[in-house]
Amino acid sequence: MSQKINLRVWLKIPDAEAATVKNTLIRRLGYGHILADVKKERLFSIEVDSGDPLELARSFAKELVNENKESHKVHIGDLVYEDDYVPVKVALHIEDGEAISVRERLRNRLGFANVMDVKKATVWKLYFKTLRPEAEIAAREIAEKLLINPHKDAYEILSH
Amino acid sequence: MKIAVLQFPGTNCALETLVAVKTVGMDGEIFRWNRPAGELSGFDGFIIPGGFSYQDRLRAGAIAAKEPVLSALKEEAGQGKPIIGICNGFQVLVESGLLPGSTGGCAGGKSNVDMALAQNVMVSGGKIVRRGYYCDWVHLRHEAPSRRSSGSFAIERGALLKIPIAHGEGNLVTASPGLIKELNENGQVVFRDCDKNGRIINEFPYNVNGSTESIAAICNEPGNVLGMMPHPERAFFAWQLPAFDPRKQRPDDPGPGRRVFDSMKRYIEVRA
Repeated sequence: MSQKINLRVWLKIPDAEAATVKNTLIRRLGYGHILADVKKERLFSIEVDSGDPLELARSFAKELVNENKESHKVHIGDLVYEDDYVPVKVALHIEDGEAISVRERLRNRLGFANVMDVKKATVWKLYFKTLRPEAEIAAREIAEKLLINPHKDAYEILSH
Repeated sequence: MKIAVLQFPGTNCALETLVAVKTVGMDGEIFRWNRPAGELSGFDGFIIPGGFSYQDRLRAGAIAAKEPVLSALKEEAGQGKPIIGICNGFQVLVESGLLPGSTGGCAGGKSNVDMALAQNVMVSGGKIVRRGYYCDWVHLRHEAPSRRSSGSFAIERGALLKIPIAHGEGNLVTASPGLIKELNENGQVVFRDCDKNGRIINEFPYNVNGSTESIAAICNEPGNVLGMMPHPERAFFAWQLPAFDPRKQRPDDPGPGRRVFDSMKRYIEVRA
């Protein structure tokens, strides 16, 4: 039976891309009255068909996370996010070459033959001054206005 | 005849583009993104050069597309002034909705963007042989009739140009049904990648980035806004051509890229 290992990875040094997105949302798109902060994580969802998932997660993290500048968190199965922000997951809906490369490297170069699939996404953590559902409506708007290009990306508001 | 060469943080081809503008006899200056956008109205044409605006954060061209100068540029485009986006400039024009500017956006979404320039995917013999950033000299075939677009105004249909590319995201894709057909029917496909004899071969190394129908450049419906992935300013003088090209031995000759800048000048002259 297959299992999904979710690896959430974020920078522990300042994230310039998240800062630029926050700046653009506040200064250019007028979200200053509602938006408090923007953070970003990378998400790897790795499907395996055998092995101890926690042990595998440790091995995958060793390969995919640079501990000098990044931190990570592992979730086996369901993803759980904190309550104080709206998590917006953005992923390609066209073929994701980087995810394929990661899968092939794990399987063929690093010997993880039990890796069946790898999916990659960016999770934007939008901190609002207001509560849901207003925050969620604004998050959808932000995703469609800035975070995605609908011709290649899809987004999803993740539940807590 | 004054051209604004727009410069965002991370734009890195502004200077050579300005040299090309001045060498064909136009006046010009580098226009930084944080100048009052209203000052753009004092120019007769605009070029967004290549580079990595905002370090390609989020995705290439996405942040620059939200700058006030782009809103001002839309107004200038509406007046028929020529705008040429080269490489990252093309990505900015697509992300801002200025190109192709035909459908008013993707159905159901709030985006006013009609297409995307996605990551390069090089396909040969039905297999993906390479992905991502690639730089090389490519051949382009001019697909539109002359006078159709501002940046190819003085180039005859079928002309071949040898110009370099250098990008990681030039793979034109769209989820808008019928858009490519519409671009073809309207003569908005300006250049396609081809082989040295002008044949369109829809696979690597002729199609260098996986772009739909080998499209390398498009214009808006009126033709004044042109976006192209190749860098004409890097083939402006014959001495810039690669060592194996015999034209390099005649360094004073114009290079093939000069025709894009000559076209822009001619377009402005005719329009005046």
